[in-house]
Amino acid sequence: MALTLPLGEASDQDKWDNGGLERKRQLLIEIVLRSRLTALMVDGDTTCWVLEQELLRSYGVQTLGVDNGRDAIDLIASDAAFNLIIIEKILPVLNGLEVTRQICEIGMRCKMLAVTAYSGESERQAFLATSVDVFIEKPLDLEHLVPILRELDRQ
Amino acid sequence: MDLAALKTQLKNFVQSMFEEGVLDNQFSQIQALQDSTNPNFVEEVITLFCNDAERIINEINRNLGYQNVDFSNLDSYVHQLKGSSSSIGANRLKLACANLRQASDERNKEGCLQAVQLITCEYCLLRRKFQALLHLERSIVELETNQK
Repeated sequence: MALTLPLGEASDQDKWDNGGLERKRQLLIEIVLRSRLTALMVDGDTTCWVLEQELLRSYGVQTLGVDNGRDAIDLIASDAAFNLIIIEKILPVLNGLEVTRQICEIGMRCKMLAVTAYSGESERQAFLATSVDVFIEKPLDLEHLVPILRELDRQ
Repeated sequence: MDLAALKTQLKNFVQSMFEEGVLDNQFSQIQALQDSTNPNFVEEVITLFCNDAERIINEINRNLGYQNVDFSNLDSYVHQLKGSSSSIGANRLKLACANLRQASDERNKEGCLQAVQLITCEYCLLRRKFQALLHLERSIVELETNQK
């Protein structure tokens, strides 16, 4: 199954200009996913997780978002399964580092991507030690996301 | 003004925001996510962001109003504002957060007060420009709807 971006039917439906669809193709790297992937966004900031969700949805990834660490743990402890978890370091109730530790203890296996506003080396090392696969500063960018989606699709 | 002229005006206005450093390339990505299946995405995100940013700036000011400032609380707010600014492409606002973070790390209340003034200025500038951008967008939608 070749998955393409939801490009719309014709440029006259694009709100920006006649080159808008081409611009979209250039800005959003086009990839082909064979699998239906699922992702959980854990971020206390609504703007961030709305953007991350929409970015993932544009690639056909089914997404769910929670705004605190406790809800994330409760969801995973109730056997909800995800291919990818995107998690912020600073969260209400339970911080991101503790959430990733508990996810590992529960035994859930998935790709984990920590996306945070400020990334220091000590935080990076602490997250990577909990089996987070990638640790980056916001914004969530395609250079990090697309290789992860391709890898998940191959599995 | 006709539709083509409005679209050109909008395009030029957004371009000027890039050139002034008010926005960075991350905003282009947000624009690219808007399409016929999600026609109001840019407006929705801008509205969300502005509501959150104003709330955070108010909380920061409230914290700095106390004699004993809770700097760890302040850190969380700066973290959040920087994160959402980065995510929407609000470049100058994102950079202004760095000053506040540094002052907060140094537990420098006076420095924090100065930094939050800059953040407030940058946010007000951004909000004005976002309002103008959305006004142009709505005018375009109205004209397109009338033409159908």
